[in-house]
Amino acid sequence: MVSTKPVTTDKTIIKLENLSKSFQVDQGEALILDDINLAIEENEFLVLFGAGQCGKTTLLKMLAGLESITDGQIVIEDKPLVGMDPRVGMVYQTTALFPWLTVMGNVEFGPKARGVSKKERREKAQYYIDLVGLNSFEKHFPVMLSGGMQQRVGIARAYCNDPEIILMDEPFGHLDAQTRYMMEEEVEKIWEKEKRTVIFVTNNIEEALYLADRIVILTECPAKIKKEYKIDLPRPRNLVSPDFLELREEISALVELREGAE
Amino acid sequence: MTNTLKISKNTRETWAYGFFGILVFLFMWQLACLYTNFGKIFPTPVYSLRAFLEAFIKPIGKYTLLGHIAISLKRVLIGYALSSVSGILIGLAMGHSKMIHAIIYPIFSIIRPIPGIAWIPLAILWIGIGEPTIYFIIFMGGFSQMVMNTMDGAQHVSKELIGVAKVLGARENQIFRKIVLPYCVPYIFTGLQTSLSTSWMAVLAAEMITAREGAGWLILAGMQTGRIENNVIGMISIGGVGLILASLLRDSERRLCRWSVRSR
Repeated sequence: MVSTKPVTTDKTIIKLENLSKSFQVDQGEALILDDINLAIEENEFLVLFGAGQCGKTTLLKMLAGLESITDGQIVIEDKPLVGMDPRVGMVYQTTALFPWLTVMGNVEFGPKARGVSKKERREKAQYYIDLVGLNSFEKHFPVMLSGGMQQRVGIARAYCNDPEIILMDEPFGHLDAQTRYMMEEEVEKIWEKEKRTVIFVTNNIEEALYLADRIVILTECPAKIKKEYKIDLPRPRNLVSPDFLELREEISALVELREGAE
Repeated sequence: MTNTLKISKNTRETWAYGFFGILVFLFMWQLACLYTNFGKIFPTPVYSLRAFLEAFIKPIGKYTLLGHIAISLKRVLIGYALSSVSGILIGLAMGHSKMIHAIIYPIFSIIRPIPGIAWIPLAILWIGIGEPTIYFIIFMGGFSQMVMNTMDGAQHVSKELIGVAKVLGARENQIFRKIVLPYCVPYIFTGLQTSLSTSWMAVLAAEMITAREGAGWLILAGMQTGRIENNVIGMISIGGVGLILASLLRDSERRLCRWSVRSR
């Protein structure tokens, strides 16, 4: 099951080839990502899952062009990724909204920076604001919104910039359980409606199983691919169906086993 | 709805308490004048109030009270505008560019602790007695605070937000205008607040020494001519004008920084 070489199909949009990352620390080098090989299909909902704090966010930052690549390469549609790429958008754990811009200002930021005409970008931003259910909040500043609403803005902002690939870095980590369930449903609905390739990082097994087409389980530091699960359960998924619970058991056991061995 | 009602009631109570405090203060002032030696060297509140109202029509020195205040205000606004604009520009440059910071900061940190009024003798020697000297003193009073606060903002611009903007496609030249500048606005307002009060102090000090008119001259002249009521009038107007300026500035901050947690 562990893939050593990325199995590419004609629908492959991203290939990670022998991707490694290490940071300089006082005692030398710390290896964070160890030889990651992964092929991601167009419009796939891929979840990177792992209990540790190591590697997952760094991998997303590398895909976003915010971290350099130590070794190997990232290929998007047959072109190696160099730095920031407009085909990649990101939703952040901290929401990272621009506090001085309104909801509308945040959502239209990308198109505006790229010089899209006011009429066009407003229409588009409005579409995504409506899509995430924030209609009538256009003129609110982030500080006036709840955590869940702020993250909705973050999602609309990422989509409005028209990326083909959307990276989500534990976007609901700071939310309470109830809001979290709501947001998971929301993300799935949006993904069904506006098909994009999504790479979603989480350490919540239920969230991973609810959203993923495929779950890639990473080991703790340094992060390596431990196992992959293709999730074929029908959507929207029932959190208490026997199949769901069985998979949940199995993956939990797998991750705990690793931790117990350490 | 109930919430706003409660707030407005509280505000009304606060005002009532404040008014009560002032009344008690005036009453004690009056008592002190009537029953102690204080009365020999200080006018009563009633007398001061009459002198205050009279000062609006009867000139003291060259101008009426409003004339003196207008002159001080004009001086402060010119000096303050100059120090604010240059302080913001230099602060942004120092906060944004490590090299500019490295060049300017050492000399700046020596000048910074020198209060504006310490420049009075040098300013008189350099520029002579006159309006430019007064502008210069006010300028020196507010300038360092403007630089320090603006620089603080520009240095602490969130790296994450810059990253977010870049991922969304903002180019290097857009980052400054779209991220650094708005990020600094609350810091700039903090600078504007403190710098305004020191500028107001600086104009009074400068007028005491180098001018024949203005609120600063008024309080000094009150002392020199033995007309203490003029001194009292001057001090009350100085307090009042300072208060009005500060609240105008706070209001504009509230309007411009509705997004900031601090201004709420």
